[in-house]
Amino acid sequence: MISPEWIIAAQWFFLLYFIGLNSGYILLNLLSYQSLKRYVEEHSLDDLPRSLSGFEPPVSLLVPAYNEEATIASSVRSMLQMNYPDYEVIVINDGSKDGTMEALRREFALVPFPEAYWKRIETKPVRAIYRSTRHPSLRVIDKDNGGKADALNAGINASRYPLFCGVDADSILERDSLKRVVEPFLENPHTIASGGTVRIANGCVVDNGFLVSVGLPANFLALLQIVEYLRAFLFGRLGWSPLNAVLIISGAFGLFRKDSVVAVGGYRHDTVGEDMELVMRLHRWHRMRRIPYRIVFVPDPICWTEAPESLRVLKNQRVRWQRGLCESLTLNLGLLFHPRGGAPGWLAFPFMALFEWLGPLIEVVGYVFMISAFAMGIVSAEAFFIFMLVALGFGLILSVSALLLEELSFHIYPKPRQLAVLLAVVIIENFGYRQLNSLWRLWGLLLWMTRSKGKWGEMTRTAKWQTGTPAAPANRPPAP
Amino acid sequence: MAYATASELPLKLDRALPAISGGTPMSAYIPQDPALAIVFWIAVAVIAGSVLMLALVFLLRINLILKQRRERRFIGQWQPLLAECIYRTPEILPAIPTAMQYAFLKLWIYHLESMKGAAGRNLVQLANAAGVHEIVRDMIHHTDLRKQLIAVVALGYLGDKTRWHDLRMLVTDASPMLSLAAARALLEIDAAATLAWLITVIAAREDWPMAKVSAILKEIGPDRLTLPLIATAESAAASEDTVHQVPRLLRLMDLAHTERAAPAVHRILVRTSDAEVIAAALRLLQDPRDLPLLRAFTGHENWIVRINAVRALGRIGMPEDRKLLTDMLSDEHWWVRYHAARALIALPFTTIQELDMIRAILPDPYAADMLAEAIAEKRAS
Repeated sequence: MISPEWIIAAQWFFLLYFIGLNSGYILLNLLSYQSLKRYVEEHSLDDLPRSLSGFEPPVSLLVPAYNEEATIASSVRSMLQMNYPDYEVIVINDGSKDGTMEALRREFALVPFPEAYWKRIETKPVRAIYRSTRHPSLRVIDKDNGGKADALNAGINASRYPLFCGVDADSILERDSLKRVVEPFLENPHTIASGGTVRIANGCVVDNGFLVSVGLPANFLALLQIVEYLRAFLFGRLGWSPLNAVLIISGAFGLFRKDSVVAVGGYRHDTVGEDMELVMRLHRWHRMRRIPYRIVFVPDPICWTEAPESLRVLKNQRVRWQRGLCESLTLNLGLLFHPRGGAPGWLAFPFMALFEWLGPLIEVVGYVFMISAFAMGIVSAEAFFIFMLVALGFGLILSVSALLLEELSFHIYPKPRQLAVLLAVVIIENFGYRQLNSLWRLWGLLLWMTRSKGKWGEMTRTAKWQTGTPAAPANRPPAP
Repeated sequence: MAYATASELPLKLDRALPAISGGTPMSAYIPQDPALAIVFWIAVAVIAGSVLMLALVFLLRINLILKQRRERRFIGQWQPLLAECIYRTPEILPAIPTAMQYAFLKLWIYHLESMKGAAGRNLVQLANAAGVHEIVRDMIHHTDLRKQLIAVVALGYLGDKTRWHDLRMLVTDASPMLSLAAARALLEIDAAATLAWLITVIAAREDWPMAKVSAILKEIGPDRLTLPLIATAESAAASEDTVHQVPRLLRLMDLAHTERAAPAVHRILVRTSDAEVIAAALRLLQDPRDLPLLRAFTGHENWIVRINAVRALGRIGMPEDRKLLTDMLSDEHWWVRYHAARALIALPFTTIQELDMIRAILPDPYAADMLAEAIAEKRAS
């Protein structure tokens, strides 16, 4: 039998947890507002013809590819057309079982090239390195399969420039994506990493790998994820940037200083959240050695990605993200409350651990406890009603504030009808979708706790929005 | 355990929500338990806040649509007049409403930056006639950074010397964006009077991105830039307090006449022991008379100095440097080997066949691989 005191304590625990969680996000929101306002003001003249550019540092674009036969050629073609003064594209064929390598060879007239490959980071064996006879800035590394992290490490080893940008082969970029994401490196020499906002491409029109026009998806599940991405990026990450406490830079498009990444040992192979884990390790490494550094988030939408349109695929993706988060945090526990941890160790890490790592567990248990206690008559209708009201209210205010930030800055969705749809989604997502997400994340947490890899499944991309490109499956979903 | 009555509930929530009926006072819905009442009010405040924000999003969008509509009309009115400046300055100009001042300045600057020669002068005349001076005079001190920035840029294009002091003050502003825009405007107004002073500011302001500074100085051209840059670099190198500024200044020398800077670079190089200064200076060496000095730096302990030394050898080295560069192919640092291979390829009177022969007899496999890559690159180019 549970004593009344315990039930009272549990009620208050869940209630205060919900209030604490959401208040934290609201604070982040305020920080994001300040950052966003300044960013928009500072870049208000960027669209003038005589913008101050042309002297940006050279960048190596690293494109890991595994079984991307259908889309790799168009992806690489788009990457070769970026508006950036000096860059190279390195495609890493990670032991694909389909015709990825043949497609690359055929499309770009590749020839084997005798390269003095510098193995700064240990990787699976490299079979051969090719150069394109049509595009001097394109190289292809053909290697044994070792996963995305291993492919990126091989790309780092082969890269010739001081900055590298990891790009998913199916990422949709804008022509000046690189220019925008390199800005923090120009502004501060201590910058070691920068990332930008990833948006959802479903419903958009994409031609030759570039975004042509923005639209809303017809699929309801993808629509729900638009607001979710706004929340995740516009304040989930931007809010941490002024505190130099950004813990995640999306693997879909992130720029790094090569020497810093090599110094920490490159990407880890033993985690599904290699992008987050690397950023956390960069924080830890620099903080422990008291080396000045900056990890920056750029609010500009620089990369677009396809969101899952079926519950099964979405569930797999969320379970996988949760597992990646758990691994990244536990692999970098040394940062938590370390005397030199600074804002990442004393604010961002505890926040992430309490609200993102353990969050699904407390949220789901909280909901289950309140509903079952109410059903059994242990909790009064009044207390239950107030709990639900708080949960709904905070969920609503966070989504609306993300939409408000968007409206104050980029107006990506220009039509009034699109805004009306998003406003409706902001309300609807609180009735079931968010709770379902918590359930999936809890499942991911449990799988991680039991060290079970589970069945992560494949991320099926339809690429319906992409003109002239057939639908193709890919097996590596990007983490926002 | 189940509780039989509401009065037995743990939180003493013995007042379940009353039935919603007409005439029920608001206080009846508020929990009696003080703690729960606080939570209730938090929830109400949060939901009310959400509704207000929803309304704000909606109003912002309406405002945006109306603003865009007004701007379209305004631009439709002004665009033909600005385009006419290609041939002449229009005589009759409409007024610029306060709400459209920013839009006008942006449109005007856009045209100015897209046109050259007489069209540019006509556009400045048009701005004078339209009262742009008065607009930017107030805007330059605005609290909105967007307006400040555009006013500063406009002042530069107007060539308005009466705001010289204001712009000089803004060059010292904490915001790199605003201070750089002010520096550029000063150069637009009078580069000759600004440049020498501005280069000392550039040397000191490490928060100014070099890429942006380079883009601004490139607009000035090497003729005007070379002498003040050399003078500032030499002066900075002469003092312990400012020697750290030298690499930054030497990096800008790429935009100047490097051959005219050669004597100064030589003087800096022989005087300094700072690796960063040496590396920056080696990048600029063009005179074969510096070869003995250059060769000595290939043995420097700092690998970045060694890289710049071998790269310089690739530019001005002689056939007799082949032995030295071949030895550098076995340097402990990969990047030194990389650049040594490319320097070997670039040496005068060196054929691919000779390089193939060198590669064949190299005892160090890493050195041979590096040279093989450079040779393949040469063949492919």
